[in-house]
Amino acid sequence: MKLSTDKIGDVIVVTVLTKILDASNAEEFKIATAPILEKNNKVVFEMSQIKFMDSSGCGTLLSFLRQLKSSNGNLKLCRVQEEVRMLFELVRIDRIIEIFDTKEEAVKSF
Amino acid sequence: MEKNKPLVLIVDDNSTNIDLLVNTLKNDYRLGVAKNGQKALDYTEKHLPDLILLDIMMPGMNGYEVCGRLKTATRTKDIPVIFITAMTETAHKTRAFEAGALDYITKPFHTAEVKARVRTHLLLKKAREHEIYIASKIQRTLLLGQPPRDINGIQIAQLTIPSQKVDGDFIDFFKLNNQCFDLVVGDVMGKGIPAALLGAAIKSHFLRVLNELIRLTDKKEFPDPEKIISSVHSSMIDQLEDLETFVTLCYARFDMAKYLLSFVDCGHMRTIHFNADSNKCSLLRGMNMPLGFPEQEPFKQTLVSFKPGDFFVFYSDGLTEAKNQDGVLYGEKRLVDFVQKNAIIEPKELIKMVRKTVVAFSQSDIFDDDLTCVLVGIDKKSNSQALTDKAKLEIKNDLKELARVRAFVRNFCENIPDFPLDNNRISLIELAVTEVTANIIKHAYGKHTDKQIQINALLLDDKIVLQFYDWGKAFDPKSVPLPVFDGSKSGGFGLHIISHTVDEVVYSRDEKGRNHVCLTIYK
Repeated sequence: MKLSTDKIGDVIVVTVLTKILDASNAEEFKIATAPILEKNNKVVFEMSQIKFMDSSGCGTLLSFLRQLKSSNGNLKLCRVQEEVRMLFELVRIDRIIEIFDTKEEAVKSF
Repeated sequence: MEKNKPLVLIVDDNSTNIDLLVNTLKNDYRLGVAKNGQKALDYTEKHLPDLILLDIMMPGMNGYEVCGRLKTATRTKDIPVIFITAMTETAHKTRAFEAGALDYITKPFHTAEVKARVRTHLLLKKAREHEIYIASKIQRTLLLGQPPRDINGIQIAQLTIPSQKVDGDFIDFFKLNNQCFDLVVGDVMGKGIPAALLGAAIKSHFLRVLNELIRLTDKKEFPDPEKIISSVHSSMIDQLEDLETFVTLCYARFDMAKYLLSFVDCGHMRTIHFNADSNKCSLLRGMNMPLGFPEQEPFKQTLVSFKPGDFFVFYSDGLTEAKNQDGVLYGEKRLVDFVQKNAIIEPKELIKMVRKTVVAFSQSDIFDDDLTCVLVGIDKKSNSQALTDKAKLEIKNDLKELARVRAFVRNFCENIPDFPLDNNRISLIELAVTEVTANIIKHAYGKHTDKQIQINALLLDDKIVLQFYDWGKAFDPKSVPLPVFDGSKSGGFGLHIISHTVDEVVYSRDEKGRNHVCLTIYK
């Protein structure tokens, strides 16, 4: 899975370059992200490419959040598509992970 | 013909006594020998002898104790035990009979006496067994009616386990027309042939009364259950009083045209009504006394309406009074809880599970009382609406297929004329089908990619129905823990998502072991 990263100060912005994040590629997403989470503890995911996500995708994001929090960091999201946002509301992730409209706001929030 | 000879177990710690008894009996019987109480119990458990000759004074467990233990186990309690002992005092003899012995021989004994007593008790045992055989044959052939197969919208399953002492449980069904049938379940007080015969007589009374009443009334209206019971009661009360017995029963009419149950309960076990709407069980009890009680108020029927997906459980006390090894009863509450927990399962499967769970509870498949249970299930809403479109997809059991499932459903939903679904609604449906399919792939089939999943999309008048079929492990949605929303868990959201993205979701499993998930989206 392709990810592009952009380091702004001590925050790393990860753009997820996939349209789908579901049970078929959640593991792949986890593996691709692992090296980034090892070196950084302030992470923003830029989600604008993702059109579809399922509970496996949510589970993966929540496991990233727990990992980052345990190293005194945090996970924020930005530019979440409406379809994905409906899912986040269903499983109440929007109350646990901060979501921003723009990359800049997300970076500034740390 | 060696095998047909009765098996006699000799229990004694003294070799001389054993030799003497063996020589006395070896020509007429197969023999087993045990030199102490524990060995006697082990042998009995394994070989079920036809008769036991039991010494009283033995090291370790004495004869009274051995006998007492045999008498407490359902499997061994009917084996005749004859004590053989040197102790001649009346107190010892009395104690032996209290422990459950049928007879008592004092040492030194005459071989002719031993032979005669053994022979007599084996003949008596054979006679008792023959009676039980006849009674259970009466029960199987005369007491248990077969359910009608062609009543619209209803499924009936029944379970009967005759006990060793047939006690006159009976069941019958009377089909009135394609939408209406009567069910009677009853239990005659008493055991053996008398109870079985009386049960059969009552069944024939019902048939006769039903026929007479139908002849007398307008063909369009069937006689009410309360009227049927009153007639049966008045025609049988004298016989029941003569026989000093009574009958508990429940007479129930299922009317599928009105979705109405009318029943007359006469002191029978409370019928369980599972209500699909509230997902709860209620217990139905009438107010009538058993048949055979002389001063009877007029019989009253009770009306209960039901809905698609509901079912009813009728049963005899043999089911709720099945005991475990500590003497604890299975009980109404356990039955209700079990039914409630497994309500999603089809009647034919559910009744098999009832049998399994009672056998597991009592740790035996032999019961003291007849055990009967009838399950009447009302079909979930039938697809009587016009089917206007249908599509089918078959996928491999592979997570890579999820995208195909979504494309199939999206394509179906986007191309329905006069049934506008906005993009968000379709996205939610895509989400639901992804979760359902991923659950089947991961849990039902354990990721074996050689398996198949079949998906149907149906368009009916006012709804879209999406059906998923797999042949994997059974799934009970109630076994899944509720989701935790505090971020501490990565999984457990699937079912929550499914139930919040479509209007209706039903999980079921048919008798062929096929799982079915049905999602409904209303207009």
